[in-house]
Amino acid sequence: MTESDFEIEFRALLSEPQEISERAPSSLKARLYSGLIRKQQENGPLASLSASVKAGNAICVFEKLVQIAPVGEQAKSPFFCAACHARVLAELFERPPIFWSGCPYVDFKKS
Amino acid sequence: MQAQYLLRMSEETGVTEYQRLVSGVLAKDRKVTAEFVSHCADWIYPFVRHRLPRAELVEDLIQEIVFAAWQALPSFRGEANLRSWVMGIARHKLDDCYRRRIRELEMSDEDESPAEQAITPCLEQQLDLAQRQKRVQRVLAILPEPYALALIWQYRDEKSIREMAQLAGKTEKAMERLLARARENFKRRWSDDGV
Repeated sequence: MTESDFEIEFRALLSEPQEISERAPSSLKARLYSGLIRKQQENGPLASLSASVKAGNAICVFEKLVQIAPVGEQAKSPFFCAACHARVLAELFERPPIFWSGCPYVDFKKS
Repeated sequence: MQAQYLLRMSEETGVTEYQRLVSGVLAKDRKVTAEFVSHCADWIYPFVRHRLPRAELVEDLIQEIVFAAWQALPSFRGEANLRSWVMGIARHKLDDCYRRRIRELEMSDEDESPAEQAITPCLEQQLDLAQRQKRVQRVLAILPEPYALALIWQYRDEKSIREMAQLAGKTEKAMERLLARARENFKRRWSDDGV
């Protein structure tokens, strides 16, 4: 076998794999999301939950309790998922036992 | 499914759906940020996974790309679609990663094999595509890292030796030698893997 034959074989062997529909693992998405939110918080608070609802986004049952509470908008800005077990489970497991709606960590599992 | 929906929307409405995502992330809307992360991860993950043989490096690089895309979002004009724009950042970051790793990693003496070997094992095997891809990934994962990266850089990313040499800060001769050793090493380990 000549050197150019090997070149052709290498090119064929190492060419782009065909799995174009491959999705990222949900636990990776969960860790990326938590990390990006931390980055966003480094230079100021997140948008409040009320702003998120106003923009047409769904929020989870726990966030809803905060959103309807008679408190200022600033109190609705922290990242409440930081204290939620859904985040911990989603960051650690591919199929975490979390099912409620409006939770990004549950949505990662579905996507 | 979300990604397909987004792509369909973008085909129908130009880049408005992407712009909704971008403005939501810039406004620090946590829910839109989650959508952004989900799309970016699905776009970037297969690209990076097939170009980095060491699994432990994949997540770090994907995180670096997502953070870089987020930081650069204010400069996204919407002329390209968001996916192409993010993948441009991913390619750039991957080149940076290859350059760093190939520059930094020194080969030990035992990894230096003779330029050509008497035996030239045949790479061609009657394997189905999936089996072959798994075997390629397996062999790349056990190669010394600079060899694996150099092979992927040349054969998967189709970089020329000149480009690779420039990016890695090496001479073209040095890059040719690295590739020759990488090919020999790959052939040897490919045969071992098939036994």
